[in-house]
Amino acid sequence: MSAAAGHALELRGLSKRYGGFTAVDAVSLRVERGQFLTLLGPSGSGKTTILMAIAGFVAPSEGAVLLDRRDITALPPERRDFGMVFQGYALFPHMTVAENVAFPLRVRGMPRAERDAKVRAALDLVQLSRFADRRPSQLSGGQQQRVALARALVFDPALLLLDEPLSALDKKLRAELQEELKALHRRVGRTFVNVTHDQEEALSLSDRVAILNYGRLVQIGAPEVLYEQPRTRFVADFLGKSNFLHGTVREVRPDGMALQAGATRLVQAVEGAHPAPGTPALLSLRPEKIVLLAEDEGAENEVDGTIAAWAYLGAGYSLAVRTRDLGEIRVALPAWRAPITPREGLPVRLGWAADAAVPVLEDADAA
Amino acid sequence: MPRDAPALSAAGAAARTRHILPRDAGWYGLLLPAFLLMTVLYVAPILQVLAISVTEPVPGFGNYERLFTNAGVQRVIGTTLRICLITTAVALLLGYVLSYVITLATPRAQRWWLLAVLVPLWISVLVRAFAWVTLLRRQGLVNEGLQAVGLIEEPLRLVWNEFGIVIGMVHYMVPYAVLPMLAAMREIDPRLLAAARGLGASRFAVFSRVFLPLSAPGLVAAGVLVFIFSLGFYITPAILGGGKTLMAAEWIKLQILDLVRWGMGAMLATVLVVTILVTLAIFSRVVDLRRVFGGGH
Amino acid sequence: MGGYASGPFARTVAWATVIYLVLPISIVIPVSLTDRRYLSLPEEGLSFQHYANLLTSEAWLGAIWQSLWIAIASTLIAVAAGTLCAIGCWRLGRRSTELVRAMMLLPLIIPSIVYAVGLYRWFGMLDLLDRFMGVTLAHGVTGIPYVVITVSTALAAFDPRLEQAARGMGASLLQTLRWVILPRIMPGIASGAIFAFIHSWDELVLVLFIASRQVFTLPRKIWDGVNENLDPSMAAVAVLLILLTILLLMLDGALRARRDR
Repeated sequence: MSAAAGHALELRGLSKRYGGFTAVDAVSLRVERGQFLTLLGPSGSGKTTILMAIAGFVAPSEGAVLLDRRDITALPPERRDFGMVFQGYALFPHMTVAENVAFPLRVRGMPRAERDAKVRAALDLVQLSRFADRRPSQLSGGQQQRVALARALVFDPALLLLDEPLSALDKKLRAELQEELKALHRRVGRTFVNVTHDQEEALSLSDRVAILNYGRLVQIGAPEVLYEQPRTRFVADFLGKSNFLHGTVREVRPDGMALQAGATRLVQAVEGAHPAPGTPALLSLRPEKIVLLAEDEGAENEVDGTIAAWAYLGAGYSLAVRTRDLGEIRVALPAWRAPITPREGLPVRLGWAADAAVPVLEDADAA
Repeated sequence: MPRDAPALSAAGAAARTRHILPRDAGWYGLLLPAFLLMTVLYVAPILQVLAISVTEPVPGFGNYERLFTNAGVQRVIGTTLRICLITTAVALLLGYVLSYVITLATPRAQRWWLLAVLVPLWISVLVRAFAWVTLLRRQGLVNEGLQAVGLIEEPLRLVWNEFGIVIGMVHYMVPYAVLPMLAAMREIDPRLLAAARGLGASRFAVFSRVFLPLSAPGLVAAGVLVFIFSLGFYITPAILGGGKTLMAAEWIKLQILDLVRWGMGAMLATVLVVTILVTLAIFSRVVDLRRVFGGGH
Repeated sequence: MGGYASGPFARTVAWATVIYLVLPISIVIPVSLTDRRYLSLPEEGLSFQHYANLLTSEAWLGAIWQSLWIAIASTLIAVAAGTLCAIGCWRLGRRSTELVRAMMLLPLIIPSIVYAVGLYRWFGMLDLLDRFMGVTLAHGVTGIPYVVITVSTALAAFDPRLEQAARGMGASLLQTLRWVILPRIMPGIASGAIFAFIHSWDELVLVLFIASRQVFTLPRKIWDGVNENLDPSMAAVAVLLILLTILLLMLDGALRARRDR
């Protein structure tokens, strides 16, 4: 299993319609060799349909699936040579762990001795050699998940597809297996395509994340890029938490712009295209990028408000601060040496840097 | 749980109906043996019966005119309908009470009750008809027993008449009545009954206001099923009717094997099939054959 | 059931009904053991002479063998065709196979007398009257519904993702059938086989029309007996048939218990 064995996958204008309903709408994307791509979106966003189209279980209405530039759209699933970890794992209950893992080799008519060696190697890879003769029903959820992984990887597939691989597990186990999955990806060096609705899982596992909504690809990029530079309101909202600030562009300078929201004036750094003065603008501001200013402190943006509600979350406080012109602003305040003791009605002054917020598009405009 | 499951399964179903992919060809191939056997060896002979009814002895609807002119045919249809309705009514009544008791029994008791219903269901019709003859004929066990006790002087005429037929047919039909009704009754939430009782309803009120309305679909399904099964019954009426009471099936056999009047036999056979299919179509929403044969045992 | 029990009237009727259902089946047991030469309860002692008569009579044994072979052969036909059809319908989905499913249930709905009449003419044309092959085919076709129903029930509990998983890992249709689907639905297939067997073993109406001398099955022999000479060996046959049916039902129950586990 060498890194060179990874393959590149490309979707070109992939659409899937069911009668009048469009499940996937002209999605184009590329997964490079050895990359870990996650399709992330809420339920009904079309992510699973895309995965099923890649696997060959769903025939696209339009568009093509290409593997290393070769069109495989019409190839039936059994001839695509893709490994797949199904939701709920789909382990064969009437076979032992070893028989499950041997299945893809058996259908390829591999001689027994070679098969046994490969099965052993695959079970070693997921540290399950001791359980080779058990039935899936005798294993824990996490162990079943690893059997499914071993079974999907044992035949050196061109691509590994994962359909919500961790969704059946409890939260703690999920975090553990996330790390294992990431390490496994590095070890086998294969191209992985993962589907999930869990944003944390997407951020921690992936080289790149494709965000889908209503069957459309909204944004694709590295997790950091998506988090720091969301292109639309939906992306900013779906990945982590965000405040949305509405204003009107007053003044445009080479390195930024000034916005007016009621009586409040905001300065905002801008990269790339500058909006024209007089147009409305929308900013996404992460709660953790806002600080509470002491009396003698200042910031590029300063807003006064009062605490409307607060909650203690262990690592920090979550504050909802009511402001005159910007509505309610959510602030994440580290609990360790917090400058204030939150209580309702307490007046506070919020501050953030000009490059803390990001201008985003309304989703209707992005389409 | 699969978040996208509804979309996906809808996807699967639609993919199957709209895009018949070449990869589905294999699955259609699996249907082929059964489809061919059924077409060539089942549907074709039956269509031929329908054809004979309008072609023999002469083309046209002459055979069907007899339905309105021939007293013999009318008598057979009358007898058949009368016996079938009586059978259905009695089988439903007994089956309903039995299902009611089974539904309310403990799981352990339920198994025994069910056994008593299902074993007769699968015992040969012929064996059962024979057993009834043994019991009911002139020198049969029932008559001898009653005479020995002194309840009667002369043996009762219990078999080789309509009474015997109804006894045998009801015996055959009670299990078929029980299965759909039991399935419907098992879906009734038992807490409803306890709750109604707790709210002060009498046992009769609980039954008539809660249990009966909720089990009505099962009752209708059982009624349709028993009625259509009774219509074409052959063995039981032939043995227990002793050739004196003619029902449709035996009349058809008589026309074809003994009188060689194919047209008439085929005509009544067609009437039988059409009646059954129309009845089923009307009640198709409440009758689930699969459930009757697949779920009960 | 949740603290609500049936009343005394209902229980009385239910018991009476069950006695009515079971009585004729149980009464043939003492009758078959009678020491008389006519149908009656044993008077002076039990006797197995009627069983002995039965098992030494070439006519009865011949009929039993013929019925057995026909039932086995027709069960094979019904199981093979019915199982494949149920799997195909399951995989292709309810909507696209609605007609086929309905067609497979026809033999349960249409009275056998109608089919018998049609088959009499049809087999006359195909030269299959009074032939082992003819009766076997007729019983096989009419046994298909039982198999389709039991296998469909078994498939309803089968996770369709297992089939997808197998195909996704490169298994062909035949490999998927053999290694994944069939092993999982075996109990359903066995149930279907049992009911198809009972169906053929007990079938009389078709045999009355399409067989006469060459093929003379057990039900046909019983039919002649009931209509001509009612003697205690009939009761002995009845008892043997009842025992066989109960045995097969118990086998089915055991299979179901295994599947549900």
